[in-house]
Amino acid sequence: MLKIVNGQVYDPLNGDRGEVRDVYIEGGKVVDTLSTKIAEVIDATGCVVMPGGVEIHSHIAGAKVNSARSMCPEDHYDHFKKVTAITRSGSGFTIPTTFLTGYLYAQLGYTTAFEAAVPVLEARHAHEELQDTPLLDTGIYTLMGNNYLIMKVLSEKDDSARKNRLRDLVTWLLTSSKGYAVKVVNPGGVESWKWGKGSVDLDTPVPPFGVTPRGILLGLAEAIKDLRLPHGLHLHANHLGEPGNFKTTLETMYALEGYPIHFTHLQFHSYGMTKRWGLSSAASEIAEYLNTRPEFTYDVGQLVFGPATTMTSDSPMQFRLHQMTGNKWISADIEMETGSGIVPLAYKQSNLVNAIQWCIGLELLLLTKNPWQVSLTTDHPNAGPFTAYPHIIRLLMDYDFRNEMLEQLPPKVAQFTNLKDIKREYSLEEITIITRSGPAKDLGLKHKGHLGINADADVAIYRLLEDKEKMFARPAYVLKNGKVVVKDGEITQSLSGKSFLVDPDGSKVLPPDLIEEFAKYYTIALANYAVQDEYIIHPEVIACD
Amino acid sequence: MARQLVGLASCTLGEVKNRADLLIYWGANPMESHMRHLSRYSAMSKGMYTPEGRKGRKVVVIDVRPTPTSKNADIFLQVTPGQDFEIATVLRALVNGVALHGLTDNSLIGGVPLAKWQELAELMKQSSYGVVMFGIGLTQSRGKDLNIEQLSTLVSELNKFTRFYGIAMRGHGNVNGSNQVMTWQTGYPLAVNFNRGYPWYNPGEFSVVDMLHRKEVDAALIIATDPGAHLPYDIVRYLQSIPTIAIEPHKNLTTPWANVVIPVAPAGVGAEGTFYRMDNVPLHVKKIIDFPYPSDVEVLRSIKERVSNVKNRQRAGL
Repeated sequence: MLKIVNGQVYDPLNGDRGEVRDVYIEGGKVVDTLSTKIAEVIDATGCVVMPGGVEIHSHIAGAKVNSARSMCPEDHYDHFKKVTAITRSGSGFTIPTTFLTGYLYAQLGYTTAFEAAVPVLEARHAHEELQDTPLLDTGIYTLMGNNYLIMKVLSEKDDSARKNRLRDLVTWLLTSSKGYAVKVVNPGGVESWKWGKGSVDLDTPVPPFGVTPRGILLGLAEAIKDLRLPHGLHLHANHLGEPGNFKTTLETMYALEGYPIHFTHLQFHSYGMTKRWGLSSAASEIAEYLNTRPEFTYDVGQLVFGPATTMTSDSPMQFRLHQMTGNKWISADIEMETGSGIVPLAYKQSNLVNAIQWCIGLELLLLTKNPWQVSLTTDHPNAGPFTAYPHIIRLLMDYDFRNEMLEQLPPKVAQFTNLKDIKREYSLEEITIITRSGPAKDLGLKHKGHLGINADADVAIYRLLEDKEKMFARPAYVLKNGKVVVKDGEITQSLSGKSFLVDPDGSKVLPPDLIEEFAKYYTIALANYAVQDEYIIHPEVIACD
Repeated sequence: MARQLVGLASCTLGEVKNRADLLIYWGANPMESHMRHLSRYSAMSKGMYTPEGRKGRKVVVIDVRPTPTSKNADIFLQVTPGQDFEIATVLRALVNGVALHGLTDNSLIGGVPLAKWQELAELMKQSSYGVVMFGIGLTQSRGKDLNIEQLSTLVSELNKFTRFYGIAMRGHGNVNGSNQVMTWQTGYPLAVNFNRGYPWYNPGEFSVVDMLHRKEVDAALIIATDPGAHLPYDIVRYLQSIPTIAIEPHKNLTTPWANVVIPVAPAGVGAEGTFYRMDNVPLHVKKIIDFPYPSDVEVLRSIKERVSNVKNRQRAGL
């Protein structure tokens, strides 16, 4: 039992915009009154009280993250944490070890995080790592955009048979991987890469069945809508990072109107093209359109200057990046399902392209009228590490600071972006929305992202400071499940979080023809494929309704 | 370590089975070292786009001597030992069309005429899904990780023309599993020193052989490995002179002289667990029968608990 008194509460879902009110916590939940009078009291005078942060898109666990850790010892040498009586040791800056990842998120006031891309075949690995990631409730997104069985079912001629079979297959893949949402990465493009073919547009037929990216997207979007999954289609669209790709992004959006879609790291998909094939901002075109489509949400993938480690299932994109930078490159084709690639990078202020990318992310955030549509991310660690969130929050809340930063960039950015003309500053309420309430709603987590009755008692308390970067970098208190886990920015106890799962209303077994395909073409037996229950310690099934 | 310098383009074994039309075994003899490999995953297997199995694939073996694997190859290139780095370098040049001044078709590279390497380079570029599988003939011979660095670079460069991947033919059960867990917990796959209270990595300094060679180790806990069989003689002699505990399901060349041997149930028979295949695919292994012994995890957990209890008492000054 615990009460937080005298704090300015930011709870946009329940209409609190800094009103001073007390928050009561019992049994890991927010309650309206305490059953006894003996309660631990946290004095939040001069502080803001917010729900714990919710990370909607981050690469923190699983095969590719671990391959990146192992490939990049240079990322860890200067960034390590010593063992204490409470915390375990760890290392890493853009790709921290699992324990350190949990601590670093908690130290920013984040209490929930989703791993953004997991092939079913390697899901067991992701869950093993998440077991070793403390202080966070977690979930994983299951990759389906280049899955052989999905494409096979999509090639079926009969409309209603196709729809039913796809629904069942999506259900089966989600439950086999113990995943939370459907992730699509460069639909069709990764399969095309395996065939040694070029990049794909929305209507390019993809081998071996000739289904198109449009077909993959519409099929999956419809299945997700039918199954009433708590989170929509989590989409990394085609042509990531290419100049002029905003046209593909918009076309993809037009094609999917009416479906619940989350467009991820949209910064990388909002590029115009200059006359000389260079990069320019198309953030306003994208934002203007999104302002008219409330069913769409997105996260930004804001670029952060400094080291980054790019990692994605978009293997052709990673090969291009490797060719362009000459940096080391890991790639891994995953049988029947997907590919993946890793390239370490450094984003530089002095580099015009990086500077434009930086502006595009901020433009998107600032031009989006409804903050409930957008979540703050850095597509960690692709555009930068999540530890930069306080800095980005200050960029959003402080126009003068933003301009100061802008002035340090190559002057030419003014030709290709409009950032300096945007005077908007985010309010604390809007920051609360894009870092916790919005992503929680987008994920369909009804007990997260707010402090109403029965909400999970995940709370972040920050001292109100003029410098918003300092304010959000060091919370006074963080509560996880009703327990104080961070005090004055330091970890006070470590505990393991929950895993979010779904149980959609589709068939849990594979039909006979696909069982046959599985037996012929996978290298593991079907009986050994699904992630066993013991890989999830504290499951929580979120209803599909 | 080569991966840490240049990375590696790779794929799971199922992609080899389903797609590979060119297979190169380099310094590897899976016919004897990985008995099920050829039939399940590579040369002999039939996959989605390789319905003809062995007939539809080109198989090349590069090794220092004929092996059962090379006898079944379409092309066998018998090379002189210790020349792998030169060979990979020349292949890179040929693939990239870099002129090799002073060499003719008959010039020997690693004991094989240049014309043969030219043929191989063309074969690689013309394949649609090529995979090179390299073994300890490449990793443990002269040049060691530098060989792999050069080979990985070759594999990367081939991706300008086609899909081409490299797979390390790793031996020993689940050595990859320990690399994976070490990496997610410490950031490094091996050779980690915790003396400073944080993970500190330096292969060559904190590797087992080096630590034992410098006689810095004064006690050893040996889990699921057999240093008595694998380490150099003088290193084993030193290990025998310090206190050793072996946690091991079988009798091996270490257990007879270890000071303490804790028998455990073997994973996959008497205990469940996770096994990381050499292509990083994680597999769950089941417990099939009851064993009178605890699992490794149970042993380690109870040791850890007792150590923590003692430490806590010491801290409390009792």
